[in-house]
Amino acid sequence: MSSKNGIDLSLIQDMVEEYKDIKGSLITILQKTQEVYDYLPEEAIKYISEKTSIPCSEIMGVATFYTQFRFQPVGKYMVMLCQGTACHVNGSKKIMKTINEYLGISDGETTEDGLFSLKCVACLGCCSLSPVMMINDKTYGSLTPEKTREILRQLKEEN
Amino acid sequence: MKIVVGQGSCGIAAGAAKVYDGLNNNLDKSKATLTFSGCVGMCYLEPIVDIYDDDKMTRLVRVSENDVDNICKFAQTKDYSLIENITISKDDEEFLTKQTRIALRKCGIINPEEIDDYIQSDGYTAIEKVLTTMSPEDVIETIKTSGLAGRGGAGFPTWFKWNAARQSQGDEKYLICNADEGDPGAFMDRAVIESDPHNLIEGMIIGAYAIGAKHAVVYVRAEYPLAIKRLQKAIDQATEKGFLGKNICGTEFSCDMKIKAGAGAFVCGEETALIESLEGQRGMPRLKPPFPAQSGYWNKPSNINNVETFANVTWIINNGGEAFAAMGTENSKGTKVFALTGKIKRGGLVEIPMGKTLRDVIYDIGGGIRDNKEFKAVQLGGPSGGCIPAELIDTVIDYKSLGATGAIMGSGGMVVMDESTCMVSMAKFFLDFTAKESCGKCVHCRIGTKRMLEILERITTGKGQENDIELLEELCFAIKDGALCGLGQTAPNPVLTTIKYFRNEYEAHINDKKCPACECAEMLTYSIDKELCKGCTLCAINCPVKAINGSVKTAHEINSEICIKCGKCKEVCKFSAVKLS
Amino acid sequence: MADKINLIIDGKQISVDAGTSILDAAKQNGIYIPTLCHDDIVKVYGACGLCVVEGEGMPKLMRSCSQKAAEGMVINTSSQRVVQARKVALELIMSAHEGDCKAPCSLACPAGTDCQGYVGLIANGEYDEALKLIKEKIPMPASIGRVCPHPCEKACRRGLVEEPINIAGLKAFAADIDLKSENQYIPQMEKETGKKVNIIGGGPAGLTAAYFLRLKGHDVNIYDMMPNMGGMLRYGIPEYRLPKKVVDKEVELIQNLGVKMHNNVKLGKDISIDELRKNSDALVLAVGAWKSSPMRVQGEDSQGVYGGIDFLRNVVLGNKVEIGEKVAVCGGGNTAMDACRTAVRLGAKEVYIIYRRTRNEMPAEDIEIKEAEEEGVVFKFLTNPAEILSKDGKVCGIKLQKMMLGEPDASGRRKPVEIEGEFEEIELDSVIMAIGQKLDSFGLDNIEMTSRNNILADENSFRTNLDGVFAIGDATNKGASIAIEAVGEGGRAAIAIDAYLNGIDINIRKPYYSERNVTAETLKDKEKIAREIVPQLEADERKDNFTEVVKGYSCEQAEKEAKRCLECGCREYFKCKLLNIANLYDIDPDRFAGEKPTNYDGKDANEFIVRNTDKCILCGLCVRSCKEVMNISAIGLLSRGFKTDVSPAFKLPLNETDCNNCGLCVKLCPTGALTERNTMDKQVPLNEKYVDTTCNVCEKNCSITLAYYGNKIIRVIPNDETSRNCHLGREKLIEEVIKLK
Repeated sequence: MSSKNGIDLSLIQDMVEEYKDIKGSLITILQKTQEVYDYLPEEAIKYISEKTSIPCSEIMGVATFYTQFRFQPVGKYMVMLCQGTACHVNGSKKIMKTINEYLGISDGETTEDGLFSLKCVACLGCCSLSPVMMINDKTYGSLTPEKTREILRQLKEEN
Repeated sequence: MKIVVGQGSCGIAAGAAKVYDGLNNNLDKSKATLTFSGCVGMCYLEPIVDIYDDDKMTRLVRVSENDVDNICKFAQTKDYSLIENITISKDDEEFLTKQTRIALRKCGIINPEEIDDYIQSDGYTAIEKVLTTMSPEDVIETIKTSGLAGRGGAGFPTWFKWNAARQSQGDEKYLICNADEGDPGAFMDRAVIESDPHNLIEGMIIGAYAIGAKHAVVYVRAEYPLAIKRLQKAIDQATEKGFLGKNICGTEFSCDMKIKAGAGAFVCGEETALIESLEGQRGMPRLKPPFPAQSGYWNKPSNINNVETFANVTWIINNGGEAFAAMGTENSKGTKVFALTGKIKRGGLVEIPMGKTLRDVIYDIGGGIRDNKEFKAVQLGGPSGGCIPAELIDTVIDYKSLGATGAIMGSGGMVVMDESTCMVSMAKFFLDFTAKESCGKCVHCRIGTKRMLEILERITTGKGQENDIELLEELCFAIKDGALCGLGQTAPNPVLTTIKYFRNEYEAHINDKKCPACECAEMLTYSIDKELCKGCTLCAINCPVKAINGSVKTAHEINSEICIKCGKCKEVCKFSAVKLS
Repeated sequence: MADKINLIIDGKQISVDAGTSILDAAKQNGIYIPTLCHDDIVKVYGACGLCVVEGEGMPKLMRSCSQKAAEGMVINTSSQRVVQARKVALELIMSAHEGDCKAPCSLACPAGTDCQGYVGLIANGEYDEALKLIKEKIPMPASIGRVCPHPCEKACRRGLVEEPINIAGLKAFAADIDLKSENQYIPQMEKETGKKVNIIGGGPAGLTAAYFLRLKGHDVNIYDMMPNMGGMLRYGIPEYRLPKKVVDKEVELIQNLGVKMHNNVKLGKDISIDELRKNSDALVLAVGAWKSSPMRVQGEDSQGVYGGIDFLRNVVLGNKVEIGEKVAVCGGGNTAMDACRTAVRLGAKEVYIIYRRTRNEMPAEDIEIKEAEEEGVVFKFLTNPAEILSKDGKVCGIKLQKMMLGEPDASGRRKPVEIEGEFEEIELDSVIMAIGQKLDSFGLDNIEMTSRNNILADENSFRTNLDGVFAIGDATNKGASIAIEAVGEGGRAAIAIDAYLNGIDINIRKPYYSERNVTAETLKDKEKIAREIVPQLEADERKDNFTEVVKGYSCEQAEKEAKRCLECGCREYFKCKLLNIANLYDIDPDRFAGEKPTNYDGKDANEFIVRNTDKCILCGLCVRSCKEVMNISAIGLLSRGFKTDVSPAFKLPLNETDCNNCGLCVKLCPTGALTERNTMDKQVPLNEKYVDTTCNVCEKNCSITLAYYGNKIIRVIPNDETSRNCHLGREKLIEEVIKLK
């Protein structure tokens, strides 16, 4: 069931079967699809459309509405920088600049070596530790430019 | 002896998981049991470890992996000197002792993943009382007596919504919990779900019984994975114990509950957008009327309340509506939880009775402003709220008084700002947020907020035009009047309140091309204080445009014509010699 | 739902069925509430915010599309708050609406001629329709097409690619075909009103006003001091540019409508304003500017010094003008060019143009300058007459002050300054002063004048200080200008005067139009196609006679030239709901100017439907109707907030989706974001007419609407479920229907 772009649709087959007849499950299906591929491949969307009879235009409408969904593969490390009020007040702009400079990427971009992606996200809810970033489910708080560089440097070295 | 490690999201972010793992590996389990709790709300002291020995509880704060050994030794020896340096101070204890906790009463105390912990602390007694001794009308009456109002921000009387949904025709109704905590500065709901999910579940079942719903849904933000995990576990446990599902507590009443994860859209905190999202659609608000109470989820009568609202319900049932109503002011009853953050000494979750003042929260509980700076303003209600200036610090916390300032109670975000915060930039921050989060359906919000943001952008970059303030105000009123949903209608609030209280800052930006708080980079001039500069050359080396001249051990100088105001020099200077003006 | 609800809308007691929205309740009772996102065919949506109304005792404005009428409601649909809310909503919509309502050529035309329209019609071979369209604004297109300095062409975006379309030439082309035909176009005239209008002056302004007022059914009399009608067109433009017979024919057409023309009648001598006021319901002063401006230099009163327009007029009248062999014409405008080229044709051997700036600053048409040069005229740039030299009271030469260019002046042109002490002298036989013209105020005693001694007329209503007396053209306000300005004023004044005669006081304001900012960069990918050269006489063939220089386009050439049009104006102009509603409110979107969408690359088109999302106002009608009515969802909303876009999934072109070209989305689109091709080759914005009918192609007898222009069906629009899903497919359906009709 591998499509021409190497997307193995069998990975979502059972899941789509499970949810396709439960009305209102589109977002859940998309979330679970993204869990599998790390993004939403076009082939997968077409497959979901076929199975659920929801037109592709509507699926894309939903998928592009929510910030959680991505349409391109992301780096090994997904750096999510919190854009909450507390982080803003406590200097998240500086952290943003530090990451931009250190990794050479801006919001929504991935480094050429495919290691890091950067995404600005809505409040992560760790306001007391602001400014905060999250890298692959791990939260780093009370960031300073130096601390941020150090965290990124370590991740780079691990690879 | 029992050792409890606080493991809320922010505790874990601060290192609580490592502490827990360390203790788990090294603790002599015959001397002490190890467990965890959610979040007690003293976020600035995380990670927190509570040690219960006989009737005494010792709270350890800012615990790191390095403290694990001493805690293990303490479990052996009970030698308090081992943990003296990490035991909470008297001052810090005040953070909690000055609060009145209802919604948060079990947070950080019980284990959120153990239903028995909840049951042992009088959990699931309210639902039993309701199902066996009260009619739905009785429940609504009790809630009415309590004066409980929606804690999501608007403060609509809860009983009224319940009653409307109850009165709506139809056998299929839905009870929905809005846990799409979107205010970028609020995390009360996350803390409640992570720390005391059963309290939410129980409150929801009571609500479902009151309106006659057999299905309940919790819509949780996708950014809260731990909350989703713990809530799911709690739902499973409650179902297993018969508090959810068919014939709850052996009565005729049945209700199931499921979680729907949001996918990243602030507007889904608006109830009709939330319903669209639950139905798997783009989260674009519906027109009201019809209201959800008449036609909501799948066009069935639906009732939507936020997490904190439900979290108060069990207490009200157990203690009576009058007890709740005894707290607060004439128009606002009970308590309110705030997420106190920003330039504050002690940040965290604060629950206080309505009627306290902002000063009580910021100074008595929060300990005042960090780094001895001047208190400037406090932001309430996030993107829908407003900034209240220092001179109004004695404003009473209730819906009416806060509303009178132009701000709102909001869902509970309370961000404290000091003199270094530019209020125009703050307004821009919120407009940037709402413009990005606008669903794009209605003209006023889609284009109006974008235009406001553009105006604020030009003001903060020194390109402000003479009548920009008036133009902003005109747009504000038009958007308030014309936007389709609450997101748009309240989007102008941060701008209106900052114009109201900090008009001079706007004028300084526009007329003098100056940012009084020295925050707006494009308007700043960097210079080096010759007295302080030691000539270390660090700034010159780091300057990306080579705008700094000077030789070793002589005072350096910045060429303002080349300087791109990146701030690198200020960042690297070890002698604080780089000055802004 | 038999229950009736009683409410009051705008003071009117209304009774409607329970469940009726306020919008529908108003509509049922003839009260108009604007909306851009609502249509009965789809569910209510509430995006545009235009249908808001105010309810007594209600703190918030209500969207009338969704708010149901309730017993006892008191609704105001046009309170100040409502109007303000709609105005801001429209300004916001327009501030993010990227497109050209009308083509720049048309906007630049002082008469508002639909240039793109007639150029497009010519491209399609529809010459008659082109002429009709031109005549909606210009009664004398053959004349104007020949002499107009065509501001339209200066605005033409083809000019950013290579050269502008020959818009004026195409106008003359269409007009000439009509003049040569047996059945010249005579527009529909309204029935006689019994109202009488007198017009003084039979030039372009007076003739235009006469034409349009006559079409309105009024009794029109023109009084003119000259032997023939045409004014400056006849007496100020030389024969070689505009043959008199062309003017004659066009005047005759106006006369044939029943306009009464009285020549050789001079105001202040043969007739008076009082007299003409008394025997009419309205009087129009279109007397022109017939006095040459003096130069105020020494020797100006010498024999052999002539005014530019006086010289030209005398030549037309056949009066002998002694200019000798050496002639200097002072001035840099078109009159100067006409004068010097006329002098050449009268046999002058040395003809000079004296102009104080350089060629770049010359106000004359470039082609006129070029042709004058070809005919041997010598240009003395950066010189200014210091003194006209004379001998025995007769011109013998001119002393010229040498000039240089200094700082730019208010008009943006660099100001000429004298080079002290530098002079030049030329021997001459005559001097023609073509530096301007003025109003001859003889007979205008009671009329209020401007400080520059022109008639003071309100710019929007054309009223003078006297009730019922209007003034237009060169004689008014800023003074003499080009003919098409006078035509424009004549046309607008006719509307104002017609309103006045009907007891209505109106101000004709320029409507709001959305305009794009287009540069050469924007158009860099356009294919370069050279301008079709109009055949004309060579310099040697023309310089000793007054034969018309320009020969005019052949049909083939005209079509080729017209096809170069870039089609700037919006095809939905005539149907645009957004523009119509926007102009009901006094909008100024520029105050909210900011980022606009710029996604459109012209590529997302299928055989029928063209989508330009830059014009999209996100009313959602297309997306909703495609889903709710057609159950196809070929297009959907993408992204959110300001970045929201309407697009097929994965941004595929429409013809790679399930779209069946039913055209419902196009029909519902309130603006030009969705358009469909009509049967013409060159797509032109046309004011189509519609007729609802039944399709006879198969036995299903579907309901369809035919859109036609002139007598040609140009679109077939499905009108019900079966026709939208026609088994033939849309293309075939159109073909078949057109075959049948």
